[in-house]
Amino acid sequence: MYSDDIERLLSAGKIKTGDGVSVTFDGQIIEGVLMPRPDVGDSGILVVKRKDGYNMGIRYGKGFSVKKTGERREHFSFPKRSAPKGAGLPRISMIYTGGTIGSKVDYASGGVYMLTKPEELLHDVPELEGIASIDIHDLMSIASEDMTHAEWAKIADETAKALNGGAKGVVITHGTDTMHYTSAALSFMLKGLNAPVVLTGAQRSSDRGSSDAFVNLICSAQIASKSDVAEVGICMHNTSSDKENVFIRGTKARKMHTSARDAFKPINSLPICRADASGTIEYIGEYRHAEAGSKKKVSAETKFEEKVAIVKTHPNSDPGVIEYYTGKGFKGLIIEGTGLGHVPTTTSKKGMSWIEGIKRAIDEGVVVGITSQCINGRVNENVYRNLRTLRGAGAIFCEDMMSEVAYVKLGWLLGSMGKAEAAGLLNKNIAGEISERRDADWFTE
Amino acid sequence: MILTKEKGHYSKIGFKCGLEIHQRLSTEHKLFCSCSARLTDNIPYTSIERSQRAVAGELGLVDRSTSFESSRDRTFVYNVFRESSCLVDIDEEPPHDVNPEAVGIALRIAASMDCRIPDEIEPMRKEVVDGSDPSAFQRSMIVGYGGTLDVGGRGIPISSIFLEEESSGIEDTKGNIAVYNVDRLGIPLIEIDTDPVIASPQEAKEVAMKIGLMLRLTGRAQRGIGSIRQDVNVSVSEGTRVEIKGLQDLSMMDEVIEHEVERQLKLIEIKKELAKRKTGFGNVVNLTSIFKGSKAKIVGDALQAGGVVMGMALKGFKGILGYEVDANRRLGSEISDYAKKAGVKGIIHSDEKLEGYGFTDSEIEDVSKELGLKEGDAFIMIAARKDICERAMAFARQRAEIAVEGVPPETRAANSKDPTTRFMRPLPGGSRMYPETDSKPIPVDAKMRKHADAGRIDIERITKELEDRIKNKQISDQMLWSPELQLFNMICDAHNGLNPQFVASVLVEKFKELKRSGIDIDAIDDGVIIYIFGKYADKSITKNAVEELLKAVPRSTAQVDKLIGSRLRRMDYESVKSLVKKLGLKDRGEITRRIMSEYRLVVDGEELGKAVEESLK
Repeated sequence: MYSDDIERLLSAGKIKTGDGVSVTFDGQIIEGVLMPRPDVGDSGILVVKRKDGYNMGIRYGKGFSVKKTGERREHFSFPKRSAPKGAGLPRISMIYTGGTIGSKVDYASGGVYMLTKPEELLHDVPELEGIASIDIHDLMSIASEDMTHAEWAKIADETAKALNGGAKGVVITHGTDTMHYTSAALSFMLKGLNAPVVLTGAQRSSDRGSSDAFVNLICSAQIASKSDVAEVGICMHNTSSDKENVFIRGTKARKMHTSARDAFKPINSLPICRADASGTIEYIGEYRHAEAGSKKKVSAETKFEEKVAIVKTHPNSDPGVIEYYTGKGFKGLIIEGTGLGHVPTTTSKKGMSWIEGIKRAIDEGVVVGITSQCINGRVNENVYRNLRTLRGAGAIFCEDMMSEVAYVKLGWLLGSMGKAEAAGLLNKNIAGEISERRDADWFTE
Repeated sequence: MILTKEKGHYSKIGFKCGLEIHQRLSTEHKLFCSCSARLTDNIPYTSIERSQRAVAGELGLVDRSTSFESSRDRTFVYNVFRESSCLVDIDEEPPHDVNPEAVGIALRIAASMDCRIPDEIEPMRKEVVDGSDPSAFQRSMIVGYGGTLDVGGRGIPISSIFLEEESSGIEDTKGNIAVYNVDRLGIPLIEIDTDPVIASPQEAKEVAMKIGLMLRLTGRAQRGIGSIRQDVNVSVSEGTRVEIKGLQDLSMMDEVIEHEVERQLKLIEIKKELAKRKTGFGNVVNLTSIFKGSKAKIVGDALQAGGVVMGMALKGFKGILGYEVDANRRLGSEISDYAKKAGVKGIIHSDEKLEGYGFTDSEIEDVSKELGLKEGDAFIMIAARKDICERAMAFARQRAEIAVEGVPPETRAANSKDPTTRFMRPLPGGSRMYPETDSKPIPVDAKMRKHADAGRIDIERITKELEDRIKNKQISDQMLWSPELQLFNMICDAHNGLNPQFVASVLVEKFKELKRSGIDIDAIDDGVIIYIFGKYADKSITKNAVEELLKAVPRSTAQVDKLIGSRLRRMDYESVKSLVKKLGLKDRGEITRRIMSEYRLVVDGEELGKAVEESLK
């Protein structure tokens, strides 16, 4: 928004952003198109796009006037392409949910927003035509940081519907920030899955010639249409190069970089496979194979207990935070401890030990799971005395499960079944979230 | 070839010319990250591979130049260097805040050219798909507009000044793969544009020289090959704006412009000739079967490699393809330039001596038949791998079609060996700019304006100061216009005891001499050159050794020390005296000659004179 002075001037001249304007100030005239004020910066500065395409800021002041010289060019539309329907090609579904992959710059406002329609995305990736016949599901358009379990449920339902309708596989385009939460949720929610469900996104919006969206979409379509993987996973760049993607189990993937293309890494596991744009798929880790000719239907079990949270301990952390949650009626807590799963136990300052608080919460009926902020490795309840104390308090050590996955799992378990059963399953493998063993080259992968 | 023109020639033909001068700035950091903005000899520690594609611009249109580049289906490899490149450079991290040092220099330059400075600077993205930027756009912002620069008494309007990111340097191209170095990417670059009011090629050169001078006088221009680049926009009436890029050597600028003018005039003649004829373009036809077992190596090689031969009729083009448009360049060469962008070596056309390639008459007859040629028609042929051949044909056709309209709007590259140019890509249209949404606008406050004004470049004052310092009008004049002026100031500032006239004569005369003999002076780091002069200032070496050290093109101060230690350490006065004594000669000239012929690098001439005088006393 511009300052009141400027807004008054604009409304007096019936000028809206996007209109051609001629601005007079300080003895000079600048011609161009009126741009909206970005959310940052000084609202007393008018931004005009010059004929050569450059934007320029002009300060409102004495002798300042704006004249309208042309009508706003109506919001243009990006070129579109309808979903490819190649005869004889495998049929897959593409479920569109928003995120950077569906973002383009809004030329009217200068910001990057989720404007893209799936058909616009397809226009930029003509290669898809040779890979699969694609059914588009324009499900929602939201940023992944705004996702909740309600959206997970919708995506799970849509995925089950697509697969039960005969799709060979499903590609889900999604924002990257919480993609690994969604992939974990789908891993638990989709029962009887017999096909690849591939989540993908982009770290660079698709209005950029350098966007990773294009290769990510192509490789995801290759996996969805060609592989016999019967699991949910995330398919993103394997390295910074546009050469090859990696497909990581939905319960073992984590976003490990804020901005790089190869942000997603497998944690405590090998990737399922690597794939390139040409359709070469190289299988690496173990995975569940699809049963050929199976007529079993997929079901989506989407109930989720909202009153579950992740709590992180750290030096000087106040265990009072547990009471905060129990006071609000929370039913499950994942405590992300240090190292093997420690929480402050025998602190010099009285009242800083978490043990009492955890014990009390468990006594009140809260399920408490323990994970590690090391991210890599397995928690253990035996090595140190403090760990045994924690176990003694009734906390459940979650093996090599990531905190985020443990959180999603506990929410899903508590939503789907009784407390005792949920607590019993928390540290048992259901959807590849816990692995029994890990090879020695865990860190180099 | 200097073409002498009658007076008023250029205004008569509707000559229009404007300049875009790009100069890399010498700052500590890059424009949008904290990487070093200095180029080093480092070797890349990793490289990444990317593809890019044309996306719709602000108008919902894919720009003609971006779609052309993208249709070439290329892969880009980026070499990554320590210290001088980071995740920002390879488009893996959003830009950091803009470098205030670079903004400060840019505003000083804008103020010096009497430009208006915007109240707020808005960083923009300019789309580039030639691969020179891993992000597929260049960040650029307008920092000044509506200025004037005095050139020989005439006020040349400066339309805009931009502060932008330098692109990556191209390392290699092999087929569809282009390899770039990203160490250069993101170094602050200033672009100065004049209005298209330049009256003649000669004036263009003068304006470019003056802008170059102004930039160097800031003391913040990078030196060395490629640090300044001049782009020229040229058109004549009935012609089109053509942008010529990559002019590094100013001395050729006027000639290059003259050649471009001539080229446009020739293309207009061709258009007029074609207008008289009935022209048309045939379909692309696969002619492979005609050339099975052909003796012509040009197609034989391609067929052996599993390729094809394709041809196309250019109706009414007979004689036109061989029409000379520039020195040793014909319309056929122009069409060939387009085809080459698809990765072929060139085209074969019917205005060439086809028997020279080894084609037989019957082969040519078959081609004519196959393409349905009639009297007055011409054809082009390309032999290559099928997909490449098809693309090359499409590009060639594109160029042939424009011949009917006259001069194609193009970005052309200056050839390094002669004043001719070659096609690079279609001239970008207007749909390539959009806001850099990852970066904040930069408000220009009163303090910044004051700083810019205080830093205005006052040529008269600088000229006077330089003359006072060098005490020789001719050398000081040469020094003022030399690209080494900044270095001169740095050397003199670093070493008070040095005679500025000696420094200036080395930098203007010796440098020129050494460069002419093939020595790559530009490869020596400024710091190393300053160090060498320091060694002279503290009497560790002689004047002659300064030149000797420069000749060795040392890459480090350690290397300078090593060279001095091994054979260039200056002889002390006592040793010089004993040398003179040992000779036992009486003739002044003979003593000096004998000693200098053997010890010129280590004996100081003045000291020798003194020792000789003393011994003859």
